[in-house]
Amino acid sequence: VTSPAVPVDGVLGAARNPIVRWEWVADRPDELWARTIDHLQLTVTAVGVGLVLASLLAAVALRHRWTFTPITTFTAFLYTVPSIAAFAVLVPITGLTMLTAQIVLVSYTLLILVRNIVAGIDGVPAEVRAAADGMGFTPLRRVLTVELPLAAPVILAGVRVATVTTVSLVTIAGVIGFGGLGTYLIDGFQRSFYTPTTVGAALVVLLAVVLDVALHRLEVVVTPWARRRS
Amino acid sequence: VGEASVVSVLDPAATARWLTDGANWSGGASIPTRVAESLQVAGLAMGISLALALPTAVVLAHLRRGEVAASAVVNLGRAVPSVAVIGLVYPLSLRNGFGFDPLPILVALVLIGLPPIFANAYTAVRGVDPGIVDAARAMGHTEGSVLARVELPLAAPVILNGVKVAAVQVVATEPLRAFFGGPGLGTFIQLGYANRAAGDPQLLGGTVLVALLAAAVAGAFGVAERMLVPRRVRRFPGGPARPEPAADPAAAPAS
Repeated sequence: VTSPAVPVDGVLGAARNPIVRWEWVADRPDELWARTIDHLQLTVTAVGVGLVLASLLAAVALRHRWTFTPITTFTAFLYTVPSIAAFAVLVPITGLTMLTAQIVLVSYTLLILVRNIVAGIDGVPAEVRAAADGMGFTPLRRVLTVELPLAAPVILAGVRVATVTTVSLVTIAGVIGFGGLGTYLIDGFQRSFYTPTTVGAALVVLLAVVLDVALHRLEVVVTPWARRRS
Repeated sequence: VGEASVVSVLDPAATARWLTDGANWSGGASIPTRVAESLQVAGLAMGISLALALPTAVVLAHLRRGEVAASAVVNLGRAVPSVAVIGLVYPLSLRNGFGFDPLPILVALVLIGLPPIFANAYTAVRGVDPGIVDAARAMGHTEGSVLARVELPLAAPVILNGVKVAAVQVVATEPLRAFFGGPGLGTFIQLGYANRAAGDPQLLGGTVLVALLAAAVAGAFGVAERMLVPRRVRRFPGGPARPEPAADPAAAPAS
């Protein structure tokens, strides 16, 4: 458990140790890999569950327009709670568990995802929708084969922001004991040993940038017409 | 660790007693001191972010240059998690004699402030109706005057909104500092979390204080907008439209 986080070895001892001690890294490739995968799993689970919930909320908001404002107001409220406080306050209720982490992480993905799904579907031209209806598409087929592909760029942009944000929030969760790469950050800090802190932080940045670039590539691949137009 | 004392640690009555206890409102580690410590570093970070992002964004947007580079910088800034920034800066800070506070949190908060300020200022100035800008030039305005007297006033609401989003995020992220040895409002959350098994009311109390401070900052910007932006600009058709929520470049959560 977190203790008052002042480095115990003192500032002078800390000032002498190197930024990265490479033998520490060489000693534990498996552990570094496992924690990176742990971090990735927490992120992907949260964005996946968030996407399912956000799709349901967006479907309700698109069908019944009046619910859009209350839904976005509520999700915007969830968004403004500082995450470190949200994790800390939930721990006494649901413990240092996957459930606690996911409640907070999923809550933070909802605002962006709901807004972007609704905006994406809203952006489909009415005549395209009418043409699909005129060709005898069932509503479900129209949504899946016409509206979703056309809304994909906006929805994927939302998924990208949500994913990068979640990588950051998982790190904060790690600082207060939920695992993932954040564990290295706080561990190195408390022992006044720079290597875990630096390596953990660098891996988090790397993970965020890799996911950002990968989702950007996905966006380009699923919307070939956008490239052709420009 | 037993998580048994749910009732006592999140008890609203105990939290209310802690929040209203006079002993918590005076002295070295009291609520007002902690708020002042938080606001100090948050204010400094906002000042640096504004000084870096605002002139750059406004001038680039006026010149209609650097769109790709600008959005790349903003995206990268968003992809780098603030805790990771603390982690990367603190060894450098200690080794160079700056100590573990406040340099690491300051750098992290400046990086949080930059993207929303830059993105909104750039989009806002860029989005001013080119017809209006040309009309101002035709009337004999110099480039500086076009920027200062036409583009900036019309862009003001969107710029202010970016500054507001940045300020709220900075205030909401600042408590992280306490988990890395620093002072400020986060100390209540950090100590309360460490003592949660003992039912420490500081955990919920500190959370309430941070949320109130963030709400107060947001409210202050609402007042500032009413005072700084003339009503006719707020409704002026040539100004850039407020971005739709989904497209709002400033939208991002509090860490």
